[in-house]
Order: sequence, then C-alpha cells, then structure tokens
Amino acid sequence: MQQYVCVRIPRMDDVNIALFEYDRYNTLYFFVMNADEQIYMRYGGRDAESPDTYLNLESIELALTKGLELHGQYQRGELKPKPLPTPRYPREIPLLVERTFARNNCVECHLIGDFQNQHRELDGTLDKPTHMFRSPDIKMLGIFLDVPKGLIVKEAKGAVEKAGLKAGDRIAALNGTTVWTFADLQYAYDMVPRKSAKIELTVDRQGQAVELPVDLPPVWWWSDVRYKQLSIDPRVYFESREMTAAEKKERSLDPEGFASMVTYVSSLAATLKSHELKVGDVVVGVDGAQRDEYARTADGFIRLRKKAGDPVKLDVLREGKRFEMPLTTYKMSFRK
Amino acid sequence: MMRMLNILPVLVAATFLLAAPARGQEGISWLDNYQQALNEAKKTGKPIFLEYRCEA
Repeated sequence: MQQYVCVRIPRMDDVNIALFEYDRYNTLYFFVMNADEQIYMRYGGRDAESPDTYLNLESIELALTKGLELHGQYQRGELKPKPLPTPRYPREIPLLVERTFARNNCVECHLIGDFQNQHRELDGTLDKPTHMFRSPDIKMLGIFLDVPKGLIVKEAKGAVEKAGLKAGDRIAALNGTTVWTFADLQYAYDMVPRKSAKIELTVDRQGQAVELPVDLPPVWWWSDVRYKQLSIDPRVYFESREMTAAEKKERSLDPEGFASMVTYVSSLAATLKSHELKVGDVVVGVDGAQRDEYARTADGFIRLRKKAGDPVKLDVLREGKRFEMPLTTYKMSFRK
Repeated sequence: MMRMLNILPVLVAATFLLAAPARGQEGISWLDNYQQALNEAKKTGKPIFLEYRCEA
C-alpha cells in the first residue's frame, strides 16, 4: 500500500460523478487510478445476497498488484489515455440541491442515484429495467467466480456454459471492455443495453484469448433489488416471495404467474392505510394481471408497472378465500 | 443496515493487511481530500487508491 497514494472520500458533495460513475447503492467502492484521472480499474460491487460477496483480501491484493503493473505501463506510454467525460457534480442535480445541500444534510451516495432517477421520472427518460435494476447479477448468466482469484471462473452454468465458458477461464473482457476485477465486470455488464440479446465475452484460457458469444437469457438484467428499495417509486409497504411450482400447483394457480406469498408487511401499511395484507396472504393478481414478462412477484409487478399514487386492486387468497383488496401506492417521503 | 455491518470485519482485516506492519512497512496514511491526492500522485509518481465509503 505504500506504493499507492490512498484517499478515502466519505462525502459525495464535490465528487465528479461523471468520472466516478457507479451504482450508488454500493456501501464501499474503490478506484485504482492515476494523477491524470485515468481509471485503471474498479474494486467493489455486490449482489443482493450481501454487500461483501465479492470483497475479500486475496482479490483486493490481486487488484492492487495489477494496478501497479498497469500504472507502470501507463508511465512507459504503453497504455493509451482514455478521453475523460465532461465533469458533472452533485450540485448540478437541482432536486439534490433543494432537498439536501440547502438543508445542510449529508449527500449520501444513494441520494445521488435516487435524485438522478427522480429527474429521469420527471423528464420521462426513466427506464426501469436500466435504472431500477442496476448492477445485474452475473449469476443470471451462469457465471460463478472463484472470488479470491478475481475473475477466474469456478463454475459455468446456463447461458455461459452453452457459450463454452469453462471452469478455470479468466474473464478478460465484456463486449470489448477490458475487465480486471469483479467490479469492472459488473459495471461493463450493467452498461449492456437491456434489450440486447447477445454479449461477447473474451476469456483467457491457458494464455490464449478465446471469444465467446453469449446468448442472453430472457430478463437477464433482473436482480433482487429490495436492498436498494429507496431508489424508485412506488412504495408498497409489503414484500413477497415467488411461490414454488409445487405451491402453485397445490393451489391450482397459473404456473407462469407471479402469484406470491406475502413475507413482510410494514407497520406503515396500516398507518398510511395503504393496504390490509397479512404475512401468509397470497397475491395472485394485480388489476387483473396474473403474469408479467419481467416481474416475479406482486410487489415487483407493482413497482415495475405502476406509478406512485396509483390505486390498484389486489387479488388475494387468505385461508382458502379469494377476495379483492384495494392498495394505495405512495411516493417516498424524501420526494414529497 | 445489518447486511452492511457484515462488511466491517473485512474492512478492519483489510486495513491491517494492507498496512502490513509485518512486512516492515508503516501503516497506511489515508488522505481525505481528492485534489490533495492528485497532487501527491503527481509529485510522487504513485498511482491512487481511492475509496468511496458511504457512512450514512
């Protein structure tokens, strides 16, 4: 570490968010870079399961060692500088200024993402698959990494297995973008347009570069976004889980439907008179819809397909009875 | 929030590892100013290890 200048930034007030663009729902995120603001690599990233799934001492040491090597190449002129993006700062996000700077509140990382999304909602450019489902999970493609070894593949399943990825391969690039760390890979994957049907992985297999065109599975970008639930309206004050095929069969429900079991109800549901769901209820439909191309649960369907303030009707199963229940969605409090 | 706490042992361990006193190095000196880090990197020719940490 003595070979690095180490800097820790806990507040985002004056950060160039165009240069340091990343999913703001990461609790920790690192960049390895140089004095010319050339970024060699990222380190960090997470999945829905845990913020530290991909963080460990071995992989950070690998990244830092590689960073020194890349820095040497840059100093010798062997790495071409990349053009820098036009700088952009949190103070250029009007709602962030109004709701945070003006109140002398801390500019928390996730607030930048939240308010950027709010502006997108206002100007009609919000695309939920892109902006709500940031940092898609590489496991959706079937990539399982040997995490302490960086981007060495431990197991390949599904789409990548079909494409020819093998255990022991090192993922070297995605769609031509070089990747050195999980964070690099996740960021490059996040940059893939959500309507894409194919990506190109380059792997290092025993010193040979091998190109692997991967057919993306349907809804490849989907991930469990509940840990970043602040990001996109509306709020529904309950959580549910996808029912198993056996559970659906037992209750004679559409096997392809988003019938889901309520697992959590916020106390705010009663306070705000949002709905009267109870844990254990099964929501089999929302406004007559029982299946969706993207959503796997009822709360997921509402968050994807409805706007804050929309009243919806739930089709609910409770103790063998099926009935309709109104639900009112809400905006997040910081957006009011 | 509980999940965020899982990361703390890793961080603490990382700090000790990266400080690596057993290897005869001194502890890490963390700057808290980006511009200062750029200046220091220019002066020394070292790369920068930049950490964004949400402390909220």
